[in-house]
Amino acid sequence: MELKVEQDNCLGCGICVIACPVNAAISPENAGGNGAKTEEVVMMVENGFIKLFSPEKCEECGTCQMFCPVNAIWLE
Amino acid sequence: MIRNLKEVKDNNFDITRDAEEVRNLSFNDSTCLGCGICESTCPVEAITLNAIAVDARHRTFNDVYFSGHEKIAQNFKEEFDVQRISIDESKCVLCGMCSGLCPVDALVLTIDGTPIKEIDAYPHYNAFSEIDDDECIYCKRCEIACPRDAIVIERILPNRADLVTGEIEVDDDECIYCGVCEELCPAEAIVVDKETGKESIVIDKDKCVYCLVCKKACPTTAIKAVCRSCSYGEYDLDPANAVVKGNSVIDSELCVFCGWCEGVCPTDAAKHKKPFEGSIEIDDEKCQACGACVDICGCNALAFPVSSGPGSRMEHVIANGDYCVKCKACAKACPNGAITVKRTEIDHTPISSTTWKEALDAIKD
Repeated sequence: MELKVEQDNCLGCGICVIACPVNAAISPENAGGNGAKTEEVVMMVENGFIKLFSPEKCEECGTCQMFCPVNAIWLE
Repeated sequence: MIRNLKEVKDNNFDITRDAEEVRNLSFNDSTCLGCGICESTCPVEAITLNAIAVDARHRTFNDVYFSGHEKIAQNFKEEFDVQRISIDESKCVLCGMCSGLCPVDALVLTIDGTPIKEIDAYPHYNAFSEIDDDECIYCKRCEIACPRDAIVIERILPNRADLVTGEIEVDDDECIYCGVCEELCPAEAIVVDKETGKESIVIDKDKCVYCLVCKKACPTTAIKAVCRSCSYGEYDLDPANAVVKGNSVIDSELCVFCGWCEGVCPTDAAKHKKPFEGSIEIDDEKCQACGACVDICGCNALAFPVSSGPGSRMEHVIANGDYCVKCKACAKACPNGAITVKRTEIDHTPISSTTWKEALDAIKD
């Protein structure tokens, strides 16, 4: 399984960034979609769109997909 | 050359080898807990446990903790469906280790049509669940609590007429066909036709419970009714007629021996025994409350705590060890490694084979 993003659909809300349990463990200060360890987290909002930084850290729990209000991030 | 044939249907599959001895391995996706015992046990590394958290969330979304929040979880599409395990049929040797160690019989190896759990040379877990019909009062508590919908309770209720006694009559000369009694009757026993010229009133004595509401509300004195239980006692009622009868069935294919049925049973009717004993612990520091474990648990043993009031500080996720079967699916699914499940005891039939003994020891902590 692979984590996929579609920037065309992304609203830049950052809910996936906050909800991701791996992100929360790496960088608890991520609230609001911005944090100190940008490069180390799984995904982060950059210039208003979601971007994958370390998708290899993804544990495939599906939390991001569950919270995304549009079809911008999913596992397949 | 003898080759394995794989036949896939929905998410279930069969792997067959036709030789002098016909071996067939069937996988039932809906039974699988996602524990991964098969993956770690397979001697030829043919089995992979798939990322089933997404699948589990698809199955349970909206009815666990997102009830009423359909907008959340909308991205879990109906067609999204992942096979919980994959088996490479070119690697599989149909040895049956996965089947022998599967705690819920999601994988079943048959040799010439006989499942290995019926063959003494293979080990079997000593696990069971049963409902004693002599003790069962058919309250359906277990049917509702069962996380796998494995229990069906069919009950036959006594006739209402056998539980009440009394008399009721309508005086047609007094009745004004207003329909007050019909609207008030809690048992829907009265039918009044109010149409001019066709007026009628009928009381169904099989439905009437002699509550006397109609008599009290009647604007005239048309209804004469008396409850015999109230005035004389229940001497003309046979208690034998008041018994709820029925029968109970546990679907052995779906049951995972979690023990909810026994836990909620108000009598001693439901009994169970788990294949594994051990412990489950959640490290609240590591847990980020994503809920993957809650969704994946096949036993409803994990849950988010419910707040007792504003300002209360709670644990992220609570585990109910009584109903946990120590399958470790949650520990495998947890993205943060916050769950520790220990399998300390495995109850299985005696086995002489060293390979099987080692395999059973390997899944023990």
